[in-house]
Amino acid sequence: MAKAPATRIWINRGVFIALAFVIIVLQLVPLDMRPPRWPPPDVLLALTLAWVARRPDYLPVYLIAAVFLTTDLLFQRPPGLWAALVVILTETVRTRARGIRNMPLALEWGTIAFGIVAITLANRIVLAILMTPQAPLGLTLIQMILTILIYPLVVFVAHYMFGVSRPALGEIDARGRRI
Amino acid sequence: MARDKNSEDYVGPIRRLLVGVLVLALLGLFLIWRIDSPRVERFRAAAIDKVVPSFDWAMAPVSGIANLIGNFQSYQQLSAQNQDLRRELQQMKAWKEAALQLEQENAKLLGLNNVRLDPQLTYVTGVVITDSGSPFRQSVLVNVGARDGIIDGWPTMDGIGLVGRIAGVGQGTSRVMLLSDTSSRIPVTIQPSGQKAILAGDNTLNPPLEFLENADLIRPGDRVVSSGDGGVFPADLLVGQVALGTDQRLRVRLAADYQRLEFLRVLRAPPHEEINDPGGLLTPETEFIGPAPINALEMADG
Repeated sequence: MAKAPATRIWINRGVFIALAFVIIVLQLVPLDMRPPRWPPPDVLLALTLAWVARRPDYLPVYLIAAVFLTTDLLFQRPPGLWAALVVILTETVRTRARGIRNMPLALEWGTIAFGIVAITLANRIVLAILMTPQAPLGLTLIQMILTILIYPLVVFVAHYMFGVSRPALGEIDARGRRI
Repeated sequence: MARDKNSEDYVGPIRRLLVGVLVLALLGLFLIWRIDSPRVERFRAAAIDKVVPSFDWAMAPVSGIANLIGNFQSYQQLSAQNQDLRRELQQMKAWKEAALQLEQENAKLLGLNNVRLDPQLTYVTGVVITDSGSPFRQSVLVNVGARDGIIDGWPTMDGIGLVGRIAGVGQGTSRVMLLSDTSSRIPVTIQPSGQKAILAGDNTLNPPLEFLENADLIRPGDRVVSSGDGGVFPADLLVGQVALGTDQRLRVRLAADYQRLEFLRVLRAPPHEEINDPGGLLTPETEFIGPAPINALEMADG
């Protein structure tokens, strides 16, 4: 722990914003306009959930809301709904972060997978109730499954490349509280 | 948990309140979008207009590297490609002869009939900046917008065929909804049988034809052009060829190269003139002498 905790938190927030930016740009680059047979996983969602489950203090809720509202606007989704669902999910994960910290990876994965399924279904149900045109169900389900499958990979990358690991015992935050 | 009680007691509720307000605000935005979609979509177009062009520096290297890899792969298949191209060139030479003859004939016939093709169909060319970013939406953003006089609903082509229509115009950018998008519906005519149909995008590369009157008259390989019905598009823009899908539905193989959409032409389609009066010449309403009105009525009925 060479750096002060506050500096480390801000650096990590910067890293998250940079990663989100890279993911958004990669999705927007116009390489092939043919409709994909397999929709790619929602890496941004997996990334956010991994960060929140591992180090909730790195990722304040307003940052999540801002990033997902931006993607709502950029990716032609109904603005606000997906962002709100993601905020609700991350808040749920955040309150359980202590519990998740003590779980083995498989259990953590299961918890997160449940959350992803829940918000995907909630999204579809709300859109169906409000009679909004929707994406084909099959594609949504494939994307959901791929997102769940990619989660351990994201955790692995976050752990070994960006040092986002579960807080060690007795680690303290900027205000001297235990996390 | 007991040890944190003191520190979290006053932060917790306020935080929960703020998060609640945040979620409500987001859901409120969604509801407003559902209620008054055009306004929020205009806001979205304006936001994209501001944000996306500034991503240019980040996208250039990515697309550059992707092109590099693509080029490298094509180097590997160079000799095979060369043979293909030779063969194609031979075919093309034959076609060129045919085309030249047809062009002369066409020019003669047009001259004989004194036909004027639509002279108002000029175009603005734009560069594709981004795609939709979502696998469920088929659209691209081009760098021409209201500044260049682009209007919602104008057709967009690449060099060969129809690509989509303008759906959403910002100041300097506009969104082109591709024919493959699930909400795209284009009235088309199938040549040579002249059957009318609707080309309905379904998020696949080859959109199906719907509302066909008689599918027996249509054969795979027939040309599909826009029909101009309903004032959606000008008539006779090339869309593609009919093909029989693996699901035994008639689909259209689009003429535009969706793999590489780089430059798009936005056609300045003139607004259609509407006919509102009942036609003064057919039913003159004043000063008839004799049995003329009866005739006029019959003519109108017949």
